[in-house]
Amino acid sequence: GSPAPQMGAPMGGTPDQLANQFGQMNMGGQPQVPPPQAPPMPAQSQFNQLFPSDLIGQPFNVAELDLPPPQINLPPNTSVTPSPYANCPPKFVRSTLNAVPTTHSLLKKSKLPFALVIQPYTSLHDAEDPVPVVPDQIISRCRRCRSYINPFATFLDHGHRWRCNMCNLTNDVPQAFDWDSVAQKSVDRWARPELNHAVVEFVAPQEYMVRPPQPLVFLFLFDVSYSAVTSGLLATAARCILESLDRIPNADRRTRLGFMAVDSGLHYFSIPRDGSESGDPKMLVVSDLDEPFLPTPEDLVVNLSECRQNIENFLEKLQSMFQDTQNGASAMGSAMRAGHKLISGTGGKMTILSASLPNIGYGKLEMREDKKILGTSKEGTLLQTANSFYKSFAVECSKVQVSIDMFLFSSQYQDVATLSNLPRYTGGQTYFYPGWNAARSEDAMKFAREFSDYLSAEIGLEAVLRVRATTGLRMSTFYGNFFNRSSDLCAFPAFPRDQSYVVEVAIDETITRPYVCMQTAVLHTTCNGERRIRVLTLALPTTESLAAVYASADQAAITAYFSHKAVERALGSGLEAARDAIQAKIIEIMQTYRKELAGGNMGGGGLQMPSNLRALPVLFLGLTKNVGLRKSAQIPSDLRSAALCLLSTLPLPLMLQYIYPKFYSLHDMPDNVGLPDPDSGEIVLPPPCNLSSERIVPYGLYLIDDGQTQFLWIGRDAVPALLLDVFGVEDKAQLKQGKTMMPVLESEFNDRVRAVIDKSKDHRAKGVGSIVAPPLYVVREDGEPSLKLWAQTLLVEDRADQGVSLQQWMGMLREKVSPDPPPLILSTWPD
Amino acid sequence: MDYDALKEHWSDTEERDGVRLSWNTFPSSRMEASRLVVPIGVLYTPLKEKTDAGLLQYEPVSCKAPCRAVLNPFCQVDMRARLWICPFCLQRNGLPPHYKDISPEAVPPELHPNSTTIEYRLARPAPSPPIFVFVVDTCQEEDSLKALKDSIIMSLSLLPPYALVGLITYGTMAQVHEIGYTGCAKSYVFRGNKDYTAKQVQEMLGLMAAGLRPGMPPQQPGRVPPPTGPAARFLLPVAEAEFQLTNALESLQKDPWPVANDKRALRCTGVALSVAVGLLETSFQNAGGRIMLFTGGPATEGPGMVVGPELREPIRSHHDIDRDNIKYYKKALKFYDNLAKRTAHNGHIIDIFAGCLDQVGLLEMKGLANSTGGHMILTDSFTSSMYKQSFARVFDKDADDNLLMGFNATLEVLTTKELKVTGLIGHAVSMNKKSASVGETECGIGNTCSWKMCGIDPASSYGIYFEIANQGGPNQMQQGPQKALAQFLTYYQHSSGQYHLRVTTVARNLSGPSGDPAIAQSFDQEAAAVLMSRIAVFKAEVDDGPDVLRWVDRMLIRLCSRFAEYRKDDPSSFRLEKNFTLYPQFMFHLRRSQFLQVFNNSPDETAFYRHVLNHEDVSNSLIMIQPTLDSYGFDHEGSQPVLLDSTSIQPETVLLLDTFFHILIFHGETMAQWRKAGYQTQEGYENFAQLLESPKEDAKELIQDRFPLPRFIVCDAGGSQARFLLSKLNPSTTHTTGSYGGVSQSAQTIFTDDVSLQTFMDHLMKLAVSGTG
Ligand SMILES: [Zn+2]
Ligand SMILES: [Zn+2]
Repeated sequence: GSPAPQMGAPMGGTPDQLANQFGQMNMGGQPQVPPPQAPPMPAQSQFNQLFPSDLIGQPFNVAELDLPPPQINLPPNTSVTPSPYANCPPKFVRSTLNAVPTTHSLLKKSKLPFALVIQPYTSLHDAEDPVPVVPDQIISRCRRCRSYINPFATFLDHGHRWRCNMCNLTNDVPQAFDWDSVAQKSVDRWARPELNHAVVEFVAPQEYMVRPPQPLVFLFLFDVSYSAVTSGLLATAARCILESLDRIPNADRRTRLGFMAVDSGLHYFSIPRDGSESGDPKMLVVSDLDEPFLPTPEDLVVNLSECRQNIENFLEKLQSMFQDTQNGASAMGSAMRAGHKLISGTGGKMTILSASLPNIGYGKLEMREDKKILGTSKEGTLLQTANSFYKSFAVECSKVQVSIDMFLFSSQYQDVATLSNLPRYTGGQTYFYPGWNAARSEDAMKFAREFSDYLSAEIGLEAVLRVRATTGLRMSTFYGNFFNRSSDLCAFPAFPRDQSYVVEVAIDETITRPYVCMQTAVLHTTCNGERRIRVLTLALPTTESLAAVYASADQAAITAYFSHKAVERALGSGLEAARDAIQAKIIEIMQTYRKELAGGNMGGGGLQMPSNLRALPVLFLGLTKNVGLRKSAQIPSDLRSAALCLLSTLPLPLMLQYIYPKFYSLHDMPDNVGLPDPDSGEIVLPPPCNLSSERIVPYGLYLIDDGQTQFLWIGRDAVPALLLDVFGVEDKAQLKQGKTMMPVLESEFNDRVRAVIDKSKDHRAKGVGSIVAPPLYVVREDGEPSLKLWAQTLLVEDRADQGVSLQQWMGMLREKVSPDPPPLILSTWPD
Repeated sequence: MDYDALKEHWSDTEERDGVRLSWNTFPSSRMEASRLVVPIGVLYTPLKEKTDAGLLQYEPVSCKAPCRAVLNPFCQVDMRARLWICPFCLQRNGLPPHYKDISPEAVPPELHPNSTTIEYRLARPAPSPPIFVFVVDTCQEEDSLKALKDSIIMSLSLLPPYALVGLITYGTMAQVHEIGYTGCAKSYVFRGNKDYTAKQVQEMLGLMAAGLRPGMPPQQPGRVPPPTGPAARFLLPVAEAEFQLTNALESLQKDPWPVANDKRALRCTGVALSVAVGLLETSFQNAGGRIMLFTGGPATEGPGMVVGPELREPIRSHHDIDRDNIKYYKKALKFYDNLAKRTAHNGHIIDIFAGCLDQVGLLEMKGLANSTGGHMILTDSFTSSMYKQSFARVFDKDADDNLLMGFNATLEVLTTKELKVTGLIGHAVSMNKKSASVGETECGIGNTCSWKMCGIDPASSYGIYFEIANQGGPNQMQQGPQKALAQFLTYYQHSSGQYHLRVTTVARNLSGPSGDPAIAQSFDQEAAAVLMSRIAVFKAEVDDGPDVLRWVDRMLIRLCSRFAEYRKDDPSSFRLEKNFTLYPQFMFHLRRSQFLQVFNNSPDETAFYRHVLNHEDVSNSLIMIQPTLDSYGFDHEGSQPVLLDSTSIQPETVLLLDTFFHILIFHGETMAQWRKAGYQTQEGYENFAQLLESPKEDAKELIQDRFPLPRFIVCDAGGSQARFLLSKLNPSTTHTTGSYGGVSQSAQTIFTDDVSLQTFMDHLMKLAVSGTG
């Protein structure tokens, strides 16, 4: 026997006593004037203070958005090791409530949602944000609830057994925790990553595989109809793949690629192995769309390492193969069925690059957009699926571990609403490039860059995600792109690194413990053919106090939750209903807060909100004004659908930015901005501004960035010196408006502006994985009016189009929340 | 004229006109005709190579519509009035202006008495150069596929550079190679198990006009449509496509789909053919073209499959068909017959080259070649010289370097009023053209005066049958013997690219008053035997075997009853005129031949043999019916024809058998021993060596012009291969003839239940004289 390890300190007191303590503590005094940032809590403090504030008297400042979420105050020695990494950091999992109500009724009373925003990956590549790995294939799991051992487990029986922090069952500790049977020596269990880190990855043994780990498979479906070829899509995509071959993960040399081209027929390509008699590809055309079939059993999906030269040869040829096409048809639905046949044995990624509406064959779609119904109540139907094939086929794909990504490029209606079903249920993503044309170098470069990053991403394969929690909690609803295979299991044929998921948690039983745990596990195959489980364990304190619930509510996570809810509502009941629900919800929350916690009428026309939720009203306003949801008769439905895809998949930091874009003033940026910070080496960004045109001076230079698009705004009175410094021209008239790239000049100011623009789109700094490279539009205040209008739609606090200004919004909220007697406004979301 | 002179005359006529008639004097009444037993018929070789007459480079002078007879030596021409009287419809026609200078001294060639056959090159050009679509089975072992690829690549050099070529390959699926595409190897793939309609094939190949394509948005503006038709992507001139096509052929690999040990390869011959037909159908209707199918095994997949993929399930035999134990036969037959009909309608040819030890389903597919005038070549393997040489011979050329093949021919028969045409037997389809020349009865493909031959070559021969329409006797008012005329007009696309018209006008005397002996004297027993064989085979395709044999017997007995001399009920008095004596023998051998006795052959072989019979002229057909046997020995110089009889097998002779399909050298027992002892290499035995060589040389001679190349067999007495010889011999010495017979002890005994010729003749004579026939 190995020596008994040092025991974790036992919990003090009974759970009931603790709960009582919690309840009393929130009755403490409240400071009258909230500081812009809550002072750090002393370590022994066990709850967050509620800091009320008045949104009218002290308007929302954009800097508040960058505040960290309310602190998670666990009782001392909750974790079995004193590791600072024992609890899950917010960049992986954020809870809407960092203090969990002990009862369902308290949660209901709070009118706040209880949900987790889960982002299992924070970068496209492991190396950029490594997670501790448990390499020895010793995985200790609870026998009953199957939770993975984690820092919140407790050891008992002299360390021979551990108690599950989810279901309380005691389990045996594996001998290997203390004794290395191979090296014949004792080991220190306290050094095990899974007891020190809330986020770890286990290397899974054989039992975790239903079959040998599948290789990484990419099947590319190229639209080669007239519009795809003439827009340069085919050539650009082929060239980009060619140039990215080295970036495609292939450490185990098992990665396989397949290629198909689609117009009115399906073009398969058989690529010989390197060293074969002929290195040339063969094109096999199948025009029988009724029952797509494979024209040959071999060489259609080939090993990247073994066929590297011939793949290159093929990609060279492919760029011009269809250059004389007259074909206006796209049988993409049939092609996907064929692709399904082709890779269903292994599973893999089906990467679809299309510039046209699938207009023949399976899943054929029609041009159904009618400009006249945009902005009306009928618009909602355009956001719904036009053909049931897409959902049922996506489910078929999910079953055989095929994930679909859609790269859409049409300059005309392409029915993004329908096509996006494929990524939605298969763990894929819809990437939309409206009006894309390779003749514009900005377009070509944006796509090439994104596509190359896309190809390089270390996606997981054959993945499932499950969230387990302390008894009494139940994962009730899941949001995001996957297929909900059973009540609590989400299936991902491929697990992306640029998406997040929202899981709503129900409180089924009264919780008697001082804290609860929620453990997210992603079982997957890495693209190196290793079976792994990424485990993220979050522990949160519980409370019986509504004030504690409010004081620990995370406005960003709440917004993310309602973003998903809004998308769901928009797709189900239309845009108007979605906007109304958002508005009703914020009113409801504010009324609840006012009634239950702020002591009723404040008087003086104020609008009360705790300091940690001060951004909620403006974020909700931003949500209703997002291109996916805002009231307008000008937004093509494809654009809307693409935006809804983003709103339901973006990692939280990007989602916040998409809802409330970043706005920087550049002409007057402080001296240290645009230069590396002496300590971190990171480029310093200017302080962000509120999204209001009041901030814009006529001689100024601004950057507005919603994470998808960047606008460089030049005031109408910008001085020639500024223009010369930034753009190398003195005359505004010489400035290229619209989509462009920043000139590189021998000017310090130009350097700094470019550094800010680049830093603003740096995903790593935001702690997210993303391939998106936002295009830069140069907008002159006195230039192209449509461009200017477009940029202005990002100024969320302004009144624009059919949307209200922040001032009007707050006025409306005050009216609804504060009048005497307050009318009862019920949320339109069922609880 | 005595019989030999007559034979000589008929031979000259055949040489000149390509015709051999069963009767060279026509009965002048229906009644008389009905007693002939053997119908009036002609075996006609329309494109028989002519060395004498030149090609007329002008348009023919034709009679008014609907007659359209062409001016010929039997027309009355009034030179002064520049009129001519059509002998068929008796209408007067003016001679065209450019004939104004004709005089008895200067007659145009077509009026010359020897111009009974003449050919015009017409101004009408062919709609396209000749087309060759190779349909290649890839379910083959590497070596045979390689041999096949090589042979096709070789054939490209035999084609005129302007000929259009295309490639379809098939196995589990069928692929149409787009040889016009230069980006990379490209082909359109069709499922092997789906019956594609013509329209689907055309849509899937993108052959329909762009605007007509369903679901296709209108043409993009600012783009000029490609200069040539869409089919030009698949069919290109050899000169342009040789590189691409050679590449495509060279890179052909064995069908990649896995085949289990207990399975046959999946082979979708039916789909491949229907796609080939569909490819030509849209853009090249009525433009001459050949679809050349190279198949290495039976169709096992999709429409037209002839056997299932399970190896334990054997392919149907004659017995299976007899017992109606056939799973796929009828469906396949219907499929291929429909396809044949379509192809013939489109004016295209389907050739079938089979390279397989087993059957490939020729029986089911036979309509493809038979209806379109295609070739059928049945060989063991594409590596065999039999295949290679036969295939190469398809591309034989004439003195002007034009391929010896015609396309899209129509043969029309015009007759004078006494004569009506009742049908044609040969590789053709009916054009369903009614005219005054069409008879009331039907023999072969009847009820028409016009037939279409999508493929025709200088050897193609057709049996054309007639009846006599006259109710009464001959018209006594006219002086001299009256003649009945038939004119054969063959329009066809010459491989040089122009349309040609071959005109053969046949005139024969009508018999005098009832009982005119001229009729019997004009009987050409060889032509008659071949014409009757074609009828028998035609019947055998629809009737039961025994019925056909009974019909052959009955006809023979009736003919003998009618034309032999005998005293009633006295067989010993039975005598036949010289020009009838061989006829019973021909019938005897026909009865025993592979054409009617099918059970010793596979259904495929039967289809093949019958196909060839229906293509050949009189002399080749006779070899097939009654093979020739020559003997070589020390007692005589060179070869000596001997009886096709088991008595001809002697120990000290070498035999050379020619069945047309097989050429066999047989060494008698002693000869074989000597050869094995190696005397031929020893000094002093040069005569023996010479004796062994001469049949080989003669065999080479025979093979020279033979198409398809015969199978060549060298065997010894007692060897297993000798069965080929034995099966052809008259079993005069069978195991049932007993050991006391007066037959030479050295003669070969044949184990057979067949009756011998002698027994056959005895029965014949008995029945003929009894008047019970
Ligand atoms: Zn448990
Ligand atoms: Zn006439």
